[in-house]
Amino acid sequence: MLEVNQVSKIYEGKIAYKALNNINLSVEEGEFVGIMGPSGSGKTTLLNMIATIDEPTTGEILINGKNPHQLKKEELAKFRRRELGFVFQDFNLLHTLTVEENIVLPLTLDGKKVKEMKQKAQEIAGKLGITSIMNKRTYEISGGQAQRAAVARAMIHVPKLLLADEPTGNLDSKSSKDVMEMLETINKHERTTMLLVTHDPQAASYCNRVIFIRDGNFYSEIHRGDNRQAFFQRIIDTLSLLGGDGHDLSQIRV
Amino acid sequence: MTFRRFAFNNVIRNKRLYAAYFLSSMFTVMVFFTFAIFAFHEAISGNDMNSSVQQGMNIAGGIIYVFSFFFILYSMSSFLTTRKKELGLLMMQGMSVRQVRLMIFLENMVIGFFATLGGIILGLIFSKVILLIAENVLVLDDALNFYLPIQAIIVTFLSFILLFFIISLFVSYILRSRKLIDLIKGNKKSKGEPKANIFLTVSAVLLIGVGYAAALIVEGAVVIVAMLPVVVVVIIGTYLLFTQLSVYIIRKLKQNNNIFWWKTNMILFSDLSFRMKDNARTFFMVAIISTVAFSAIGTLFGFQTFLTEGLKNNNPHTFSYITVDQDKDDVAFINETIEQEQMEAKHKQTKLAHYEIGQDNIVITSETDFNRFAAFLGEDTIDIQTGEVKVVEFTGNEYGQTEELLKQKLNLNSGTSLIPKEVIYSRALPATDSYYVVSDQDFKELPAPISEESYHAWQVTKGQDNIIAASEKIEKVVPPYEFYAKDYSIYQLNKAYGLVLFVGLFIGIVFFVSAGSFLYFRLYADLEEDKQKFRSISKMGLTEKELKNVLTRQTAILFFTPILVALIHGAVALTALSHFFYYDLTKISLSVLGIFTLIQIIYFAIVRFFYTKQVKNVL
Repeated sequence: MLEVNQVSKIYEGKIAYKALNNINLSVEEGEFVGIMGPSGSGKTTLLNMIATIDEPTTGEILINGKNPHQLKKEELAKFRRRELGFVFQDFNLLHTLTVEENIVLPLTLDGKKVKEMKQKAQEIAGKLGITSIMNKRTYEISGGQAQRAAVARAMIHVPKLLLADEPTGNLDSKSSKDVMEMLETINKHERTTMLLVTHDPQAASYCNRVIFIRDGNFYSEIHRGDNRQAFFQRIIDTLSLLGGDGHDLSQIRV
Repeated sequence: MTFRRFAFNNVIRNKRLYAAYFLSSMFTVMVFFTFAIFAFHEAISGNDMNSSVQQGMNIAGGIIYVFSFFFILYSMSSFLTTRKKELGLLMMQGMSVRQVRLMIFLENMVIGFFATLGGIILGLIFSKVILLIAENVLVLDDALNFYLPIQAIIVTFLSFILLFFIISLFVSYILRSRKLIDLIKGNKKSKGEPKANIFLTVSAVLLIGVGYAAALIVEGAVVIVAMLPVVVVVIIGTYLLFTQLSVYIIRKLKQNNNIFWWKTNMILFSDLSFRMKDNARTFFMVAIISTVAFSAIGTLFGFQTFLTEGLKNNNPHTFSYITVDQDKDDVAFINETIEQEQMEAKHKQTKLAHYEIGQDNIVITSETDFNRFAAFLGEDTIDIQTGEVKVVEFTGNEYGQTEELLKQKLNLNSGTSLIPKEVIYSRALPATDSYYVVSDQDFKELPAPISEESYHAWQVTKGQDNIIAASEKIEKVVPPYEFYAKDYSIYQLNKAYGLVLFVGLFIGIVFFVSAGSFLYFRLYADLEEDKQKFRSISKMGLTEKELKNVLTRQTAILFFTPILVALIHGAVALTALSHFFYYDLTKISLSVLGIFTLIQIIYFAIVRFFYTKQVKNVL
C-alpha cells in the first residue's frame, strides 16, 4: 500500500539541516500505523512528505505502487483530494461554512451532484454520530465534535489512505478517546489504511503498530498484541528509553 | 529601549504590515500635492483674469483635503483592526490604555511624516508627467512650466502634518471601550452572518428605480430642479443596494445547493456573505465617488464637445466675412493676409438679399447661388423647377422658424405666388434663420430686396498650420461681428476652457484612483485570513487552477461590482444631462465610461496578479 524507501530530507539554508535520514517504512493495506518521537524528531516532516505536501530530498515514496511526487502540480492536488484524507490538530474547518458544508467540500470541488453529496454526508455523519450538528457552524460545536466533523470530511470520498497529524492534540481526554475509538472503528470496518502522527501514547495505543523516530533516524518499532493496555505500557517504556524530554511525556493520561 | 524607540521600531521593523497603510497615506498626500502644484502655479494664480478659476481651484483643493481626511481615517481604522491582537498582547503585558494610545499616536506620526515626505517627492515626479500630458492633450501652450513649487510644498507639508496629528488624536475614539478579551480574540471570527431586511431590500430596488425613472423622463430646465431629489434618492438606494440587496442575493444563492455546492462556489460565496458588511461600506463609497468622477468628467467633456461641435457645425468655412457696408477693403486685407501667411484658400462670395415676408425679414436665394456654396462644402446640390420654392433649414439648427416659413407664400412681380412645400437641410449659407431657395428664373421676378449683405467664405487648402496666426492678424483689423474664423474660435474656446477641463479631469482621476485604492485596501485587509484559509484547503487538495479561479472571481466581484453600479449611475446621469442640453452625449459618455472601465480592468489585473502571488507564496 505505502512504501517509503530510503527517504531523506535536508532543509537548505544558511545551515543545512537534515530532518530525516534514510527512513524506510512499509504499510500494508488496512493497517493502522502510528509514528512517534520527541519534538523535532522529523515525524511531521515524514507525514507531510507522504501527504505530498512536501518533497523528499532523496529516496522515493510509493502509494499503491505509484510515486505521487512525479505528478504535475494540478494532478497532485487532485490526487490528494481523491486518494488521501487528512485530519489536522487544529481541525482546519472553515468557519464560514456549516458542518455539513465543510464535510462535502472535497466533493464539491470535484463537481459531484448535490443529491449524491447530501446522501454521502448523511451516511458518514450517521456513522460518526454527528447528524445532529450538521447545520451548526464551526464555532457552535465542541472540539471533539469539530474533530469528528474533520474526520467525516477526510472520509467522505472513501480515501485509500487517511493521514492524521496529532488529531488529539487539541482535545480533552474524553474527546481524544472518542475520536481514537472512531478512527479504530473506521479502520476495522472500512479497511482504510491509516497513518497517525502523535505525541500522545494513549492515542498511539489504538494503532496496530508504532514506529519511533529520533533525530530523523528510525529508532524502533513495536507491534500491538491483543491487549491495548499492555501496548500502551510498552509505548511508554519505549518513549522513556528514547530519552524524550519531560515535555513529551507530559501529555500522558491514564 | 525607550518607549519612543519602541514605537519607532514597531514601524520600521514591521514594514510589511504598515506598508498598505503607509502607501495609501502617501498616495493621498501625492494627490493633494500634485493638485497644489497646479493651484499655486503662476499661470493659474498669477493674473487676475483667472480669479474664478482660482476660486474653483481652492474649492476643489478643499474637497480633496476633506476627502483625504476621511480616506486616511478609514485606512487607519481598518489598519488598526488588523492589529487588534497585537494591541491586546501589549495590554496583557501591562501596557496601559494611555500608553497604547501614545504608541499608536507616535507610530502614526512617524508614518504620517514619512508619507508626507514621500508623497511630496512622488508628487514632484508625477506632476511633471501630468504637465507633459496636459500640454499635449489640452491647449495650454507653454503656460504651465514645471517649477519647484516652494509654496505648494510648504502648504502640503503643514496641512498633512496637521491632518495626521488630528487623525492620531482620533485613535482614542477608535480604541475606546474595547475590552482586552475582545482585542485578543479580535482576529477570531465570531460575528454572525449578516441578514437582509426584506423591507429595506425592496426599498433599495424601488428607490433606485424611481430615481432612474425620474432622471430619464425629465427634460430641459426641469433637470436642474429634479437633480437634488434624484441624487438623494439614488444615494440612499445605492446604500441599501449594497447593504441589503446584495446580502439578500448572496443568501438566496447560498440557499440554492445546486449553485452553492458547485465546485469552488462554496469557498467563494461563504466568505463573500461574511465580508459583505465590510464590503458594502467600501462598495457604497467607491460607487458614489466613481459616479461623481464619471459625471464630472462626462459633463465637462460633453459641454466642451457641445460647444465646439456647435461651432464647427454652424461655421463650415475656415473664414467667413459678412457685411452690409459694400465699400470696405476688408476682403482685400483678408486675401492679403492669407497670402502673407503662405496659405492658399478658395474664396467664394455672394450677396444675401433680404425680403419682407409676412412680418419677417427673410433671405431668399437663387438656385445657382445656393448650389455654388453647397458644392463649395461638398454637399449635395439641389434642383429647383420654376414655380417651386424650398425652405432651407441649417443642419442641426432647430431655431430657424422653419414652421413659420412654410406657412408663408412668396409674391412674384409677375403676380403669381409661390407656396413652399418642401424643407431641405443644408449648411450652404450662414446659419441665421431658415431661408428660401427659388429657381434662377423666379429669383429675377422677386420684388426689390429691403437690404443686401455681401457674404464671403474662404476654405483654406494649403498652409493650415498658419490659420491661427492669420486669424489673429485679421481679427486685429476686421471687427468680430463681420469676420469669423472657425479654427481660431475653437482654439480660443479650448484655451479658455482648457484649465477648467484640466482641473475637472484631474479631480475626476484623483477620485477614481482613490476609489481603486479603497478597493485595494479592502482586499488586503482580508489577505491574512485568505492565506490561512487557502493553506488549509490546499492541504486537502486544491489545484492551482481552482485557487486562481476563486481568487479571480473574488477580486473581480470586489473591483467590478461598485464600478458597474457607478457606470450605470453615470450613464443615467449623463443621459439626463443630454436631455438638459438637448444634445446627444452618447458618444462622449461611452468613451468616458469606456476609458474608466478599461483603467479599472488594468487595475484589477495588476491587483489580482499580486494578490494571487501573495496567497500562493504561503501554500
